[in-house]
Order: sequence, then structure tokens, then C-alpha cells
Amino acid sequence: MFPVAIEVLKQMIKRPFTNPYPAKYKPKVTLTEVVELVQKGKIKLNPPVEVPEGFRGRIAYNIEECIGCQLCIKVCPSRAIEFVPEVKKVKIYISRCTFCSQCNDICPKKCLSMSKEFELADYEKYGKSLIIGATEDYVKKVEKEKKTADKKE
Amino acid sequence: MAEKTFTVPIGPIHPALKEIESFILTVDGERVVNVELDLGYSHRGLEYIVTHRCNPIQAIYIAERICGICSTSHPYAYVQSMEHAAGITPPERAEIIRAIIGELERIHSHILWAGVAAHEIGFDTLLHWTWKIRENVLDVLEAITGNRINYAMFTIGGVRRDIDEKGIRQIRSSLQFYREVFDTFVATFIEDTTVKMRTRDVGILTREEAEKQVAVGPTARGSGVPKDVRYDKPYSAYADLDIYPIVPDEFTHEETKGDVYDRIVVRIFEVLQSVHILEDLCDLLESTPGPITYQQNLVVVLNQLKRAVGEGIGRHEAPRGEVFHYSMLNKREQPVVWKVRAPTYNNYASWIPMMKGTQIADIPIVIASIDPCLSCADRMTVVDERTGKSRVMTLQEMREMGWRKTKEIKRRVA
Amino acid sequence: MRKKRAGMGEAPYKKDNETFTYDGKKVTAYPAEKLFDMIKEDFGEDVEGEVKTFTAGVKKKKEYKEIWLKVKRERFHELVEWMSKIQVPHLAVASGRDAGEEIELIYHFSLFYGIRDSEVSLCVKVSLPKEDPVIDTITDILPGALITEREKQEMLGVKVKNIPDPRRVFTSDELPEGYYPWRNDNDPEVEKELVRDLSKEGL
Ligand code: SF4
Ligand code: SF4
Repeated sequence: MFPVAIEVLKQMIKRPFTNPYPAKYKPKVTLTEVVELVQKGKIKLNPPVEVPEGFRGRIAYNIEECIGCQLCIKVCPSRAIEFVPEVKKVKIYISRCTFCSQCNDICPKKCLSMSKEFELADYEKYGKSLIIGATEDYVKKVEKEKKTADKKE
Repeated sequence: MAEKTFTVPIGPIHPALKEIESFILTVDGERVVNVELDLGYSHRGLEYIVTHRCNPIQAIYIAERICGICSTSHPYAYVQSMEHAAGITPPERAEIIRAIIGELERIHSHILWAGVAAHEIGFDTLLHWTWKIRENVLDVLEAITGNRINYAMFTIGGVRRDIDEKGIRQIRSSLQFYREVFDTFVATFIEDTTVKMRTRDVGILTREEAEKQVAVGPTARGSGVPKDVRYDKPYSAYADLDIYPIVPDEFTHEETKGDVYDRIVVRIFEVLQSVHILEDLCDLLESTPGPITYQQNLVVVLNQLKRAVGEGIGRHEAPRGEVFHYSMLNKREQPVVWKVRAPTYNNYASWIPMMKGTQIADIPIVIASIDPCLSCADRMTVVDERTGKSRVMTLQEMREMGWRKTKEIKRRVA
Repeated sequence: MRKKRAGMGEAPYKKDNETFTYDGKKVTAYPAEKLFDMIKEDFGEDVEGEVKTFTAGVKKKKEYKEIWLKVKRERFHELVEWMSKIQVPHLAVASGRDAGEEIELIYHFSLFYGIRDSEVSLCVKVSLPKEDPVIDTITDILPGALITEREKQEMLGVKVKNIPDPRRVFTSDELPEGYYPWRNDNDPEVEKELVRDLSKEGL
């Protein structure tokens, strides 16, 4: 028992290793109020521990560059990527993504990349924040643009 | 005898378990007289998924997710088997990087296991201390691969990311850290009287049983079988190193008994061995420039694999023992056959001789001693055969039984 | 209690690296080619196969060998017995596949473990006709083979003769009789019932 006791005593004088993220204690108000206070800037949050270079977080997609070659769909192990034929672009379900970054490697245009963002929680698996790329809104927008372009002609 | 025994089912489910299985124990008082295993609660049919839906590149990530802790061991064996099947040779630098990731993983896996073992015998101070020192290697892994687990480093024909100067420096400083804490690790774990009394002569697996039950990894080595794929068969960069399998008597200076204590000793000294291996591998990496994949263009790789005909096996010494993969390609998008053999598959059978004759209070540590990641008892029902009454014993109760035993021993020691 | 470079260099508990001692019996490793010739000599026409060679290593190149054998099923048990006279063979696993008219089982053994750089993998293939897929158990020699034999029974529908415990291991009891997941000739109706593709169902 003795060696452990020494270790325990040493720990007592050390600063805790844990980073109190996002805050050490929740203020004694409801969670919604906390969110509001944070948005107003009344509460300051602790920043998270820096993620290292090359961290694989939420996928970022440069939709303008994409040529619709569908290679990323072919290698995605979790079928997180879907082709949208109307606009010849892809749609990515972040909630299915396993952050392997294999699609980044194969993309000939390098329009996919892994960002450092890791706070991905949402209330719905297929919520708006968790689908990127050629979403319904995007398709509508493109179709609208097309129509206006047609009219001009 | 027969009317005095009870049947005690343990398991099958616990939310924290990677492997869910159920044990049906027959007990006579406190002693276990017979054990039956009931497996397959977590069978996910991955082999079916891969052979029906995935191309070989996608399958790497399926293999990676077979196990969270061995998340590099399965891809390691898998890419070997695929490379043999398709006749691909990875470049040398890739082989070194593969071995480096494999060894870093072994360090974190063994330390994690040590913490779990400490928890199972009711020594939670040690659990927190070991998991604290484990953070160091996880940080290194995160820095060089991008994630703490599920590194996504392997690909068919090489690795996906290079380790640069900075990465090597990080690995070296981490090795320095582990060399410094190792003495404390040994002192708090192996030389601790309570741990020793609690685990000596518990869950014995004799050498003969270990061979007959085809045990692998530290479970076999703890029984004195000097079996280690890195030593038996040269593969990857391990062929350059002089590794020998660690068996307990070298460090305990006692006869090898094949009990839980021996398995603890093997695992703890394997951490030190990995540190030594990594030192050599870092030197080797510095002196071996070159590409990290045989083919940069993944589309070419995919097409080559689609056309390939052949079969191959891949073996890697994972933290828990030998991982074995068999793959067959036959001009199809998906592999035709893929068979995965994780180390616990072989070590399941050795639970039976280990558990026979132990006390119920020792069951958690015996289960944990082959390192199925976590002890896998969720709750157990004690059925009194004479009265037909049954009552449910929670895992917590069982652990507390174990903890009480530790306390008793402590009292006796003091 | 600890040594300078534990786990590296020559094993202190071993006098030499060429042998493996157990129970007073010494096992000396010999090259895969010799082992293959010995098998050929004793089993003659009933086995066929090849020795595959691979190279590993970065600065020090080393070779390792695999023996791929095809054996008649009548003599499979005898072959395992033959191996166990050299050393208790290590059985990694038995894999298998549906090869049209036949079921092909592949037993992955290895010999000479515990000896530096000399382990030889033996992949032993046995073909069983689909109408009579019976094979002898090897649990009498290697009790640890039980789980893999049980798995082959449920996954491929082979019958292992004299198996001590014929129950299922991994598949659930609800899986219908006669449906074997690794076979290709399953009733598509049954398969459709059983196999779901969750990503297509939008889950
Ligand atoms: S990172 Fe991996 S899982 Fe995620 S979308 Fe890309 S290929 Fe699919
Ligand atoms: S691989 Fe790149 S260019 Fe091709 S469809 Fe995917 S994102 Fe677009």
C-alpha cells in the first residue's frame, strides 16, 4: 500500500489535470437560460483543450469545386455520402460519418477536408446542422438561380 | 455433492461491454465447480457485411471498428492478408510506421487493462493513477494520427500519414515519460502485497491447458508458453528487432504458475518492452526515407484489387494476442471470403479451466485477466436449487464481494 | 526486479533460439520445405499444395513461409495427429467458403511457435461435398478447436462428427434451421427477411 500512498499525497498538491470545459459549474439557472446568457456574453466559457494538427473533426465540403465524380461515395465505409443527381453534387450526413477521412484522400478535386470542429451534438440524427452539401435548400437555390438565368436569356 | 450445488448465470449484457457473453456457473458454496459459456451476444455479422457490401478499402474501416482498443491490430492483420492476396508489397517506411502505431497501441491497451484489473480487485486509487499515465500515449497517438483511437492510419499497400520529425520527437519524449514512471508502476502494482495476495494462485491456467486450448497472447505467455507472433514469425518491421516473448518467471523469480498475477506481470513488462521496441523503431524510421504507399492513387489500388485473384493470411500480435485474418479475392468488387479471428475468440476457452475451483469473489478478476476489455458480468442470478428460490445479484454486489476480500487481505497483511 | 532492456535481445530463459522445450521434450524447427516434403512422403497422393515464401524486414530482410495444403477429408484427422507428434499445433482458426458444389474449409495451423523466426503457417484446405458435408472433429487432439468447429457448423452447415458440444455459438436461436449465413445458395426469400440494410432504410 505504501507506494500508492505516496502517489496519492503527491496528487493532492498538484493542480487538477481536467480542463473544466465548458465551465466548472453550471450557474443555478435552467439550461435554456444558460444558453441565453452565453449568447448575450454574460457568462464566459472555458475554451476546450487545443486539438492537435491533423485532427479529424467535422467534414468540410467545398461544394463549388466538386465535379460530381462519386469517388468519395465509393470508398465511404459508412455510406455517409449520397449523390444528388439534380445538381450533380453530394450530400453528407455527418451523423453517419466515422471521421476516417478516406473520402478526402480519394477526391480528385480535394474539395473535402476534415476541420477541427468536434462539437457536433444535435437533437436529431438527421438535423439540419448534421447534413451538409447538396441539401434540399441548396437544390432549391440552384434551381432558382437556374430559372432566373434562363429568364435573363 | 449434486444437491449442494447452485447454478449461477452471469451476464449476458452490460452496457459498457465490448464483448458480451454469459457464463453459467455451478457453485458449491463459494467454489466454482463447473462453467459453461454462452457466447454470441455481440455477433455483428461483419464478415457478411464486408463480403456482400464493401470493397476492400471500405473494409479497412470496418476492421478498425471490430474493437475499440485494438483499433490498429485488426487493420494491421487485414491489410497484410489483402496484400498477400493481391500480391502487393508495401514500402519499407510504411512497415516501420505500422509497427510504431502497433506498439503505441499496446502501451495504451496494457495500461488501460491494468487499471481495469485494479478496479476489479477494488483498488480504485490505482485505477485512476494508471489511467492518468495512459493519457500521455493517447496524446501522442492523437498528435501523429489525428485521433485518440480509430487512427485510420492503414491502407492497403502502405500507411496514410507520415510521421515527421516532430512526431518522432513527441514519441521519444513520451517514451522518456514511461521510462520514468515505470518503476512506480512496478512498485504500485507488482510489488504491492495486496495485489499479489489477491491475485496469486487465482484463476490458474497450466501450460498444458494453455497449449491445448490454443490460448494466445499474454494469456498463453502468462502460463509460460513463449509464443509471440513478433518473435515466431518475422513480419513488417518487427523482423529487424530482436524481440523475445516475455514470460513471468524472468521477473517474478518464482515458478510460473499461470495465475492472474503472472498475467499481470507479463502485461506490465510488455509495456516496458514496447518502450524499447519503439526506441529502435524511431531510430529505424529516421534512417529510412522513402514513400509511404506503394501507389498514391487510390483509384488504381481499387481497380487492382478488383481484378486480383488470390488468398492470403495476415497475423499480428495485438495487445491481447494474435489477430488472424484470412481474405480471398476473386475478381469481384467485394472480397469473396473474409474471416476475422480476434484473440479473445481463442482465449474464451481458457476461461473454463481458469474458473474451475476459484471463488465467486474472484470471478471478476479472472474474467478480466484475459483482457476481454472489461469484466463482463452484468448481473447474476443465484438460483437455489433446493428451494427453487432465486435472487438477482448485481455486478456491483459481486464487485463488493471482491472488494471485501481485498479488505480482509489488507487487514491480514497489516 | 527489472532488467535493462527487458524483452529485447536474447531470451534469458532460453539457451538457444532453435528449440522449444516443453515437458522435457525438445522441439527443433526445420524449414517449411522439409516439413512439406515429410508430409508429402507420409500422405502421398492425398495431399497437394505449395510452399509460399514472403520477405519481411527493413534493414535485415528475413523470409517466412506458409504451406498451403489440400488434403482429402478422410485423412485430415490423421494429418492433425501427425502434426501433433511434432508439437501441439497452434490452431488460429478455421475459415471456410461456399465453393459452388463444395464447401471448402481452411484450417489455419501453425507449427514451431516459440522458436525465433521459424514459425510455419499451415493452411489446410478440406473440401466437403454439399450433399454430405461431414468432417471429423479435432477436439480430441486440440480441445480449443471446439468454438471454431461449432462456428463452422452454424455458419456453413457442415457436420462435425463426434463434436462434444453441437450447439450454436454466435448466431441466435431464432435463426431458421437450414439458413447458413456464409453460404451463397440460401433461399433469397429467407435472406430478405433476415438481412436488413439500415442505411437504405434511412436509419
Ligand atoms: S470521413 Fe470517412 S466516413 Fe466520413 S464521409 Fe468521409 S469516407 Fe465517409
Ligand atoms: S470525390 Fe470529390 S469531386 Fe468527386 S463527388 Fe466526391 S466530393 Fe465531389
